[in-house]
Amino acid sequence: METTNTNGLTQLYLNDDKSFVGRFIDYARNIKRYSYLLKQLVRIDIVTTYKRTFIGISWLVITPILSVLIWILLHSAGIINPGQTDIPYPVYVLLSTSIWSFFQGSYSITSNIINNSGRFLVSAKFPHEVLIVEQIAVHCINFIIPFLINLLVLILYGIKFSFAALLFPVALIPLLLLGTGIGLLTALLRVVAVDLSRITDQFISFLMFLTPVVFTPKIELAWLANIVKYNPLTYLIGFPRDLLTQGIYSETKIYLVVSLVSFLFFIFCLMIFMKYAGRLLERLIIV
Amino acid sequence: MNNSQVILSVRDVYKKFTKDIKHNMYYGIKDILIDPKPNYMTLRKHEFWALQNINFDLYEGEILGIVGANGSGKTSLMRLVSGIYPIETGKILARPGQKITSVFALKAGMQPLFTGRENIHIKGALFGMTKNEIEKKLSFIEEFSELGDKLDVPFGNYSSGMSARLAYTIAIANDPDIFIIDEALAVGDSVFKSKCFEHLKNYVKQPGKGVLFVSNIIHKILRVATRVIVMDEGKIIYESTDIQKALHFYIENCLRHIDPARRQKMLETVEYYDL
Repeated sequence: METTNTNGLTQLYLNDDKSFVGRFIDYARNIKRYSYLLKQLVRIDIVTTYKRTFIGISWLVITPILSVLIWILLHSAGIINPGQTDIPYPVYVLLSTSIWSFFQGSYSITSNIINNSGRFLVSAKFPHEVLIVEQIAVHCINFIIPFLINLLVLILYGIKFSFAALLFPVALIPLLLLGTGIGLLTALLRVVAVDLSRITDQFISFLMFLTPVVFTPKIELAWLANIVKYNPLTYLIGFPRDLLTQGIYSETKIYLVVSLVSFLFFIFCLMIFMKYAGRLLERLIIV
Repeated sequence: MNNSQVILSVRDVYKKFTKDIKHNMYYGIKDILIDPKPNYMTLRKHEFWALQNINFDLYEGEILGIVGANGSGKTSLMRLVSGIYPIETGKILARPGQKITSVFALKAGMQPLFTGRENIHIKGALFGMTKNEIEKKLSFIEEFSELGDKLDVPFGNYSSGMSARLAYTIAIANDPDIFIIDEALAVGDSVFKSKCFEHLKNYVKQPGKGVLFVSNIIHKILRVATRVIVMDEGKIIYESTDIQKALHFYIENCLRHIDPARRQKMLETVEYYDL
């Protein structure tokens, strides 16, 4: 393809002819080049969320505690039978819902990336990968603060952490990649297939009840036990949870395989998103 | 014939959109899943050309005015030149490493809960500036925008004129080679607008600089443009360095659907208010 004319001008905005590795090198370069924008956007998102509330950042702690209280209430009233847990049920549910919210949050924040930033994206040219990294960073910050409080609760319940617990943040990465991957595909669907994106939203919410979050993997209900067995989230949530509270996990091999698949799935979704997000921007109806 | 260097060249560019929301979504998903390389030059049902066979050059030292009735494709063209919309067919060529900065909506990217001073960093970063580059330009921005203490007030409390002052000043502080102004100077008080126009005229005298100035307020075009392109229904229908003649053509073209008996009266009215 001819890219230079006789006046020494070169063709702008040529991306499709880059190799797979070349594209990822470009993403990394752009993120470095726009690192100051990245910092500014993270600051805006965090400050804007809490600037106009009286109790500010405390909301990060209040929301997960309220949701845990509901599950404890349901459990103590005998409405749910979670199965045998190795650690006290309040600790189990606090930790599991916290890890689940990490997955769901990564889906939610990236699946709205085009719709929420549409006006912004059509008024300034900047690399979309910066926005993806920014959203993930904001999500991680929003996770870390309440999670540290949760750790204090775990200590109060007498949970002792081993050195393996230090690997907990690394063990969450595959979960983040899976949630972000599904989120990026759904972000495209939100522009051109709103019904499908709503189905995905509902499915992700429902998935919590098919994953050992408020019940254990040793559930007695046969059909649910089968779903749990083949649900990749069982391993992506179970591994970091058990690593933190017990320092061991019985199905590490399955976790590693699921992690590899999640990584490959994320790369696939990122490539699709980067290829089509710009094209779908012109189809976006900004409301 | 212009003897200056071409700094931007737009060649055979087309862009199509869909009129109907459901077809817009349907084609969007079809182009991704079923037919990733559709024949772009064929219009499907409910599609229309937003831009058709667009060819023009921007020369060094030029302020190229672009006028056209609402919906004629001016902003779509500027979004293509800025790289916001992908180029499906045709080419946009510029000098390697050339910096293109566009100002579309004054408040785009500006954060209402943050002060004007904080927004300098936000908008500057959005234009691709680093922290050091922004800090070096701070005194210029303070001086040119003349906002004084107002820079420490939340941006959400700014009037549209104040927003224009800040947004425009940050954009020029980025020192673009090709500066795209899309209706961004429609607001702002007379003194500031005059200052901007004077600044623009001097700005393009620097080597390698050019401006694409999109506006429907034609007396501004008359004052600043060195050449004018008239767009209609996605096409460039007229181009001239005789600005007065080009603007008359534009107004007459806008009135072409009106019956001849009323046209002359309407022409006088438009010229009275706009020129």
